[in-house]
Amino acid sequence: MADLPYGPPVRVSPLIRFGRWSFLTAGILYGAFHQNRLSKREVKIREVEAKEKAIRDEKIKREKAIAAAAELKNLEEMVNKKD
Amino acid sequence: MAGAVAKLPSLVNSAIANAKPKFAIFLKYAKVELAPPKPSEISQIKAGIAKLLSSARTGAWKQQTVKQATLNTLVGAEVLFWFYVGECIGKRHIVGYNV
Repeated sequence: MADLPYGPPVRVSPLIRFGRWSFLTAGILYGAFHQNRLSKREVKIREVEAKEKAIRDEKIKREKAIAAAAELKNLEEMVNKKD
Repeated sequence: MAGAVAKLPSLVNSAIANAKPKFAIFLKYAKVELAPPKPSEISQIKAGIAKLLSSARTGAWKQQTVKQATLNTLVGAEVLFWFYVGECIGKRHIVGYNV
């Protein structure tokens, strides 16, 4: 230990070291657990969103078809009026 | 620009050469100061916890100097932050949860 430039290492209290390591392991376990829980929840949300998207796409398609038909009808009326 | 890019490997090499002895010193200190508690120290840990609890119960923690209280708070915060380091390792992402 003679080659240490800042003096001998501090004797950190065992309680502090125990606290550090136990908090570290608790954090790792909590992080893994919470990650798992959140990703499961997110998978469910994605499934619901996929179903809703199919319904919404269908609805938008129908509305677009109706709007296009109405526009065509308007145009035809305008053209016919000029004659 | 080309010159700066050409100098990059030698810069990196000298940075590594500089960092190596410092890292060795860090390791020597860390092996003592950051070591996980040994089974033989369990009695000391128990005594420490008992001391904490008794000081919380008797109100002895209110009879500290400001310096002691500041140091204890900082040490407590450092110990607490290890939890968040562990959380980042456990969720395998640095900011937020990657779901």
